[in-house]
Amino acid sequence: MKRFITTALVTSTALAPLSLAAQECTNDTWKKIMESGTLTVGVKADYKPWGYRGTDGSIIGMEPDMAQMIADTMGVDLELVAVVSSNRMQFLEQGQIDLMIATMTDRPDRRELVGIVGPNYYTSGTNVMAPKQLGFTEWSDLTGKPVCGIQGAFYNQIVEDRYDVEVVAFSGTAEAKQALRDKKCVAFVYDDSSIGSDIASGNWDDFEMPLPSEDDSPWALAVPKSEENCVFGAFMKGMQYQWHLDGTLVELEEKWGIKPTAFLAKQQELIQQTTPMPE
Amino acid sequence: MDSRLHGQTDLPVMKPYVLRGHQYDEMFLVRWLGSLPPWSFLVLLALWPAAAFAQSASFGTADAFVALWRWIPFLTFQGFLFNVLISLFAMLIGTTLGAALGLAQVSRNKVTRGISWSITQLFRNSPWLVLLFVVLLAFPFEINVFGLTIPIPAWVKAVIGLSLPVMANISEIVRGAVNSVPSAQWEAAESLSFTRTQTLWQIILPQCFKRMIPPWMNWYAILTMATPLCSLLGVGEIITFSRQAMEAENNHPELLMPFYGYALVLFFAYCYPIARLTIALERRYSVKL
Repeated sequence: MKRFITTALVTSTALAPLSLAAQECTNDTWKKIMESGTLTVGVKADYKPWGYRGTDGSIIGMEPDMAQMIADTMGVDLELVAVVSSNRMQFLEQGQIDLMIATMTDRPDRRELVGIVGPNYYTSGTNVMAPKQLGFTEWSDLTGKPVCGIQGAFYNQIVEDRYDVEVVAFSGTAEAKQALRDKKCVAFVYDDSSIGSDIASGNWDDFEMPLPSEDDSPWALAVPKSEENCVFGAFMKGMQYQWHLDGTLVELEEKWGIKPTAFLAKQQELIQQTTPMPE
Repeated sequence: MDSRLHGQTDLPVMKPYVLRGHQYDEMFLVRWLGSLPPWSFLVLLALWPAAAFAQSASFGTADAFVALWRWIPFLTFQGFLFNVLISLFAMLIGTTLGAALGLAQVSRNKVTRGISWSITQLFRNSPWLVLLFVVLLAFPFEINVFGLTIPIPAWVKAVIGLSLPVMANISEIVRGAVNSVPSAQWEAAESLSFTRTQTLWQIILPQCFKRMIPPWMNWYAILTMATPLCSLLGVGEIITFSRQAMEAENNHPELLMPFYGYALVLFFAYCYPIARLTIALERRYSVKL
């Protein structure tokens, strides 16, 4: 009996998004937010400074700030839900969250599952943190050596295939960094922006970010797949467009101490050029 | 003692054969935990900063403990409290369902016995993490009952996920306890024209109850220590929040020992009294042969 119930539940939850996607716009999510007066946003709580905990337990960071702006614009209350990389897309498709802003890299396979709406709000590349004394200069120097990484990062597979390194994946960043310090691996593969801020913090003086960043990929927020081309999706496109136009994203980057990226400056310039500005 | 017993003899004497090493013991966990002297808690408290100081670095262990101090209220009252809540509710549900399932396992109806046996074996032998994954990802996050929307937060789903293996193990405890009562009692009851229900409720179960308490508490201790499994699924509990707190403190590797050590101290402080009590109760209720 239990098994039957489980199977029935699995099937019904798995099929629900499919049947919705085939329909025309019903705007269910949008209506639900407006009726309940609460926008539920899934953000990271373990990715400083994008989304992390304050000592009182509240979630703060650049992405919660973005979520607050969206809620304010819609005139509803904001509720933040902490998500992790492995459950963020399920939460969105189940309807547990209405919107996901959770450091997600924009990948084609993810576009099939959730409604990714542009323009992207950030980019990051892949790089490594390695001891200075090893003197790495290019990616091929890592071939055949153990490299520490984080579980669930999409670039683990890429660097393994491309440079034949042996990625040892950890569940958390602190654990991976401890392993690097304990010389269990020759380098730590991670986002270039995070490595940059670590090295700038002065606690990693014997380490460097020696390689050219690879796979610079944009980050995207997402609405449920059924809302992609409906009111909510169009609204989120407009919000991000506006953020690029008026420089909100650049300001937020500065506020949270994120190293300024060329991507944001370039996007702002592009959008300002193509948008007629009132005198 | 030996020489006196065997005395002076030329005949070879066969000494009793003693198997070396520990015997298998289902209650190994609480027995080990309960056998620790109370001052071991103080040793743990003293060793924990010492182990942390063994790591050397520029950030400094003192800084790491200052960071931990800031997070203690959050980790304890929003983190560990949920571990306790999850374990209590999972135990409550697991015990209720497990007791029913255990009684069904000694049913006279073959079909009932077969079904309850299969359910027990299925959940007793499935990996806990797999059960948690199935419940957390396959169950809905809210249910509609007559137009009323009832939300199911992640920790409630964790309760359901953890109560399944507990249910199966309690079922085995109940079945074992009922079977451990000498069959002569059933026969005696029947000869006094007790019905089967009366025999079970008035004669057999009252004797089982005491026997079930120590293994039941043993499973509670195991369950409590299994609650950090939920952190792998992002349920808000002490290990999840410790990770997030370390992230907010910039992920210095020096934070690992203080933060995980704090979780260890909390779990020890919570489970140790339970283990002592379990061992004490077991001694009191043990059947003297």
